[in-house]
Amino acid sequence: MILTLTLRDRGSHAALFSEYFRLRHDVFVKGRGWSLPTTNGMEIDQYDDNDAVYFLDVGEQERIQAAIRITPTIKSSLIADYFPHLVENGQSPRSPSIYECTRYIVIPPRKSRDDNRLAKGRIIAAMLGWSIDHGLTYLQTVIDSVALPTYLELTPRTMPLGLPHPYGGGRKTPGGGECMAIRWPICTQVLDDVRQYGGLIEIEPAAAAYARPAQPTAQLIH
Amino acid sequence: MFNGDEYAKRTLDFVERLQQLERYEDICRHIASELEWFGFSCVSSWSMPGPGDEPADCILLNNRPKEYVDRYIERNYVLRDPVVTELRRNLQPFSWGDVRANRDLTKSEKSIMDEAREFGANDGFIVPIVTLSGSVSLFSPCGADPNLSQRARAAIELIGMYSFQALQRSLLAHKRQETAHMPLSPREREVMHWVAFGKTDEEIADILSLSTPTVTWHVENAKRKLDAFRRTYAVVRAIRSGEISL
Repeated sequence: MILTLTLRDRGSHAALFSEYFRLRHDVFVKGRGWSLPTTNGMEIDQYDDNDAVYFLDVGEQERIQAAIRITPTIKSSLIADYFPHLVENGQSPRSPSIYECTRYIVIPPRKSRDDNRLAKGRIIAAMLGWSIDHGLTYLQTVIDSVALPTYLELTPRTMPLGLPHPYGGGRKTPGGGECMAIRWPICTQVLDDVRQYGGLIEIEPAAAAYARPAQPTAQLIH
Repeated sequence: MFNGDEYAKRTLDFVERLQQLERYEDICRHIASELEWFGFSCVSSWSMPGPGDEPADCILLNNRPKEYVDRYIERNYVLRDPVVTELRRNLQPFSWGDVRANRDLTKSEKSIMDEAREFGANDGFIVPIVTLSGSVSLFSPCGADPNLSQRARAAIELIGMYSFQALQRSLLAHKRQETAHMPLSPREREVMHWVAFGKTDEEIADILSLSTPTVTWHVENAKRKLDAFRRTYAVVRAIRSGEISL
């Protein structure tokens, strides 16, 4: 089951949030060696405030099998604050209707190509559905540019905001590489692409579920 | 603040126009003309052949000279080409020059790379493409004196990944179209209806007051449209696709 939560729900889902922040520590600090602020074995940063929206795919025994966080760029933007050079399309990466996704985790209980696809498709479809409901225009994120083909597999409508740029000393340095900013236009076609990718398309045609007009941006959760 | 240089502008524009193209030929032309700006005269893109795959079936795009490619396939260069072996340890973009500079090449490896000079390609750039399905493919433009600056490399990397995706998409759509058969004409449907009841062409000619060669001609057309080699299989396909019912 996919839960859509904010930190306001922390009281009613205390254990789940603790597990979630611990999982982030395992995946990003221990697993990928990122230097991120850590408290009591949990990774929590400045973007974890009341405006962040969390999508958590919770399986049997409350185990988190996928998670993603989105944050409104009008308030704080990782891209605008730390990676402005990645944006080369002449447009501002900040807008009330643009959110950023970060801390993407997919760890299905069984590890196979199909399970990964399904888990990935499920969590991203949930995030896109929410974004359509809340009248967003774009979701954007920073990726390692080597991973771009996997995002294009997810939806060919993935658009670059600029060219790849070196980070952490570039590709010749261990732990370094090249990164780039990408975005998805928020529309039913992208949601359909993702559902098709995850094999979710037969369950519920997205076009029918989201045929109603998008809500005005004034109703955005802030 | 967010304005890119010429490389960024061109590349973002390239991607946007690429995504509007559907026809394979248009996509190929769009790619080739963009690469020309960087000084690449030829390009090929292919998936690494798996066990049992025909190398020729793995090619998505190629405008290197035919004699060169034929020889490359015939002599199975793919097994010894240092550019290809480099892909086993490095899935990040690199140039032919990088391979020459970073490795001691054997004589046969050198000669494979030098053969490209016969059609004027002195250097090239390889963009490896690793998909979630685990397959490794590559996009590989080359030319006499291509621009391989840091920014050009970043641009080609993006161009390669998007081009590969667009080529694959249009080839898949093409394949799907081929399997969806052309609809039968009313006369062909009528004839196939009687074929389904086991009638010979002579008997059908009698029933429909047509000449036998005319019936045979309709049956052959229906078989071709249904992509069926034999009459019985044509009947099966016609029933399955709803062209006739019993």
